[in-house]
Amino acid sequence: MEIFQNFVTIGGWNIFVTLCNTFITYLIVRKFLFKPVRKMLAARSEEVQAMYDQAESDRAEAAAMKKDYTESIANAKAEAAQITQTATRRATVRSEEILAEANRQAADMKKKAEQSIEMERKKAMNEIKDEIAGLSIMIASKVVEKDINQKDHERLIEEFIDKVG
Amino acid sequence: MAVHGPEVYTYLFGNPSLPITETMVNYWIVMLFILFLCIFLTHGMKKIPKGKQVIAEKIVLMVDNLVDQNMGPNSRIYSPYIATLLMSSAFGSLVSLVALRSVTADLNTTLGWALITFVMITYTKIRYGGFKNYLKSFTEPIAVMLPLNIISECATPVSMSFRHFGNIAGGLVITTLLLSALGSLSTMLHIPIPLLQIGIPGVTSLYFDLFSGCIQAFIFSMLTMAYVGSAKE
Repeated sequence: MEIFQNFVTIGGWNIFVTLCNTFITYLIVRKFLFKPVRKMLAARSEEVQAMYDQAESDRAEAAAMKKDYTESIANAKAEAAQITQTATRRATVRSEEILAEANRQAADMKKKAEQSIEMERKKAMNEIKDEIAGLSIMIASKVVEKDINQKDHERLIEEFIDKVG
Repeated sequence: MAVHGPEVYTYLFGNPSLPITETMVNYWIVMLFILFLCIFLTHGMKKIPKGKQVIAEKIVLMVDNLVDQNMGPNSRIYSPYIATLLMSSAFGSLVSLVALRSVTADLNTTLGWALITFVMITYTKIRYGGFKNYLKSFTEPIAVMLPLNIISECATPVSMSFRHFGNIAGGLVITTLLLSALGSLSTMLHIPIPLLQIGIPGVTSLYFDLFSGCIQAFIFSMLTMAYVGSAKE
């Protein structure tokens, strides 16, 4: 035979059982639903945070590296410009030196050549003078024989040649 | 056709004041279901959520969100209890879909929950305002209001429990009556099988069992959160 409670009843025992059931359900929900899910959510947010931190540090590193590169490239450019400038200046100086040296040498050589030409000329002149003098004396002595001594002749001929030459 | 209260299966230790009723047994079934549901949903969780894990996380986040909105920040300690209420109440009402008597169609169940809410309200008021202020609040705005304030304080759990109980029990009564009426109508129209009982009660059940069960679970939880939240002020 089935026994039914009244449709609307209030019983201390029934309420007590409800409270116990609710408490156990609470423990179940807390332990088997909230705890694992919260743990997972926390782990995920931690991981996302870690990823963001990593990305941020990577970005900062990249920015620092970029700055370094930019600086070193600028430095390299400046250095290259300086090197080129120095080289150009040195080359200019050197070429001027070489030119000056060459000019000087050329001038020296020219001067020497002129000197030697002058000397040769004088030498030749002297030789010609001597030759002519000798010849003249010889001719004159042949012509005049003993009228004039050799010294007088030579003097006369010198005078003559000076007037001529 | 009779509408009964919960059936008494047996008496604990043979003591007539300790009945084991249909409500209790059905609550245990609901508890088992919640236990398996929780274990199933959170089994093998991964960092990248998939399938059932999304549902588990959605439930937790939704309840946390509700608690944050209604009870203010730093109230998430209440979240598991609110989730318990939501699930117990919703599944407790929806067991009627598998031909079991609703757990919430018993005043003892809803009154038990309402008493928990009442204790939480009182505890929160005393904790945030002090015991003196709590007593003093009964004489505000004037001392003459004392009896009214006491009644209004007690009315909270009573109204909550009766609202929930009344909705589900009312649905049970209406569905039973409708089923019975349609059966009688079939007999009157000399239809050999109770043809009219097919389909029509199912449609009304959509409202009285499914919608009402879910909405009452939500209302009960919302009221609990709102009362406890406002008790902080």
